[in-house]
Amino acid sequence: MHYLVKRGLTYVAVFIAVLNIIFFLPRFAPGNAADILAGSTRLPAQAVVEISARLGLNQPMYVQYVDFLKNIFLTFPPYLGVSYGYYPVQVSYLFDVRAGWTFLLIATSLAVGELMTYGMGSVVSLRRGGKFEIGSLYSVITFNSTPLFWFAMILLYAFAIYSNIFPLSGSVALFETPGTLGYYQSVIWHMILPVVVLSLSLMAESFLILRGSMQDVLKSDYILTAKSRGLSNWNISSGYILRNSLLPLISVVSFSTASMLSRVILIESVFGYPGLGDLLVDAVLGRDYPVLTGSLFYLTLIVIAGGIIGDILLVRLDPRLRS
Amino acid sequence: MEAPLLRERSLRSKIIRSRPAIAGMILLAGILIFVLIGPYVWPYKPFQSAGPPNLPPNLAHPFGTDNMGEDLMSQVIYGAYPTLVVGIVSALGATLIGFLAGLYGGYYEKAKAPISLATDIVLSFPSIALLIVIGSLFLPSDQVIIGGLIVILWATCSRAILPQVSSLKRMPYIDAAKTSGLRNRKILWRIIAPAVYPVAIAYFILIVSVGIIIATSIGYLGMGNFSEISWGTIFYYAQQNAFFLGDWWWVLAPGLMLALTASSFALIGFSLEEIMNPRLRR
Repeated sequence: MHYLVKRGLTYVAVFIAVLNIIFFLPRFAPGNAADILAGSTRLPAQAVVEISARLGLNQPMYVQYVDFLKNIFLTFPPYLGVSYGYYPVQVSYLFDVRAGWTFLLIATSLAVGELMTYGMGSVVSLRRGGKFEIGSLYSVITFNSTPLFWFAMILLYAFAIYSNIFPLSGSVALFETPGTLGYYQSVIWHMILPVVVLSLSLMAESFLILRGSMQDVLKSDYILTAKSRGLSNWNISSGYILRNSLLPLISVVSFSTASMLSRVILIESVFGYPGLGDLLVDAVLGRDYPVLTGSLFYLTLIVIAGGIIGDILLVRLDPRLRS
Repeated sequence: MEAPLLRERSLRSKIIRSRPAIAGMILLAGILIFVLIGPYVWPYKPFQSAGPPNLPPNLAHPFGTDNMGEDLMSQVIYGAYPTLVVGIVSALGATLIGFLAGLYGGYYEKAKAPISLATDIVLSFPSIALLIVIGSLFLPSDQVIIGGLIVILWATCSRAILPQVSSLKRMPYIDAAKTSGLRNRKILWRIIAPAVYPVAIAYFILIVSVGIIIATSIGYLGMGNFSEISWGTIFYYAQQNAFFLGDWWWVLAPGLMLALTASSFALIGFSLEEIMNPRLRR
């Protein structure tokens, strides 16, 4: 329980940090705060007045701060401003629509990636020190250094543009109605390339962690005991080595949500997948500041959620954490 | 007396015998030669119209040309400088700050909690999202990008250094030093820091690799310094144009260069880290 408390405090601190970043960055950036937050050059005058009033832009800073906190905590969904590109839709409503697709990608890739890492780990622990282990080490380090968006672009070219196997963009074909079998088939079909890229990147990162943890396990006495008792490599590997090296992989779930989100942003941009990342990139090109700061808020919330889930899993699986 | 049977290899010898390190260094040397000699040998320059547009790789233009007829190989050669500079400078800054944070946080009990918390907070942020927001609010000049990268990457270094300093602090010889009257500050800088800085160097090289990739990814998304050519801007233009025109080479060659460069740093840094780490767990 103590572990969860410690992690919980960290998440609270992250939340406070992101709130402050969202509040202070636009107000200290070069340019007029009203321009940035209320779009005084981009929205009709009436809207600018309304938004300025709600955000309290004409008031002293501490009043603004209080207004800001009120907007976030007292209204549901939190009021984070009105998007320029999608005027008059509020930022929070935009996220509502887009979050589902991103969640789908992340969840699927986490599952597939962890499974593949486990598989690779089994093979490596069976043939330790052999060519497979060294080769996999090299390829994983190299793959980790490959820019993800480039890899995604290459796959997109090879499988979608040249060979027309996979669709070019989007999450589902437009002519399918939700709920039908064709809809689900189309969703899966559109999802394959992004998930492949994401899970490969997750696998590369997890494999390095798994390998480090396996090296620690291999030095322990109980492995030596098992070998001296004559257990076969297969038995040792599946029964002892893998199970005991597995724990860091679970903590990867909670720690890697942040990096997964960064990768999802890039991948959604390449594949045209209509999720949160795509929204963020469009906002960058269109200088849609409310959406940008709002994205930071929601993305951090997702990271915190992923972290909490990962930590709860970890506490259930690792008895050492239950003091 | 004959030499003892078990003899630890010197650091230099370990590095020379580590195959990933050798591979990385050869790769890096090759790339550096390519980048440094390129401008003197290669006839084309990035912003000039060097030939017919949209040419696939051929003898005159090994990387092909883009949609304005500019030679891509010259773009890669000249674009390497800003990218590498951004990567190395931000890695320097990040390693310095991370090293200091790890030292003070690991040694002084009162500093440990805040510094660990700050490290965790920074690591919990989706880095690209934060960089995008910073880059769009403040103009994406090189300084802003370097600053943003440092803000994000210092935590990677301090996360590695702080636990090692912590565990070193519990070693008996630190107690001995304290008992003999050595002041905390001197213990920190004369005993602990020299033991830990090799790890920091390994992380510096790793962070260069990460920094180059993140900087280019940001550039691809549009947060780059467009007054000069860098690998990020090459990808940005490629994303805008290449797909529609079917210019696959526009993406392939620069990406390979980026992957090779980052891999070379990563291989060296990874093997350095492996060598440095066990030595501290005496």
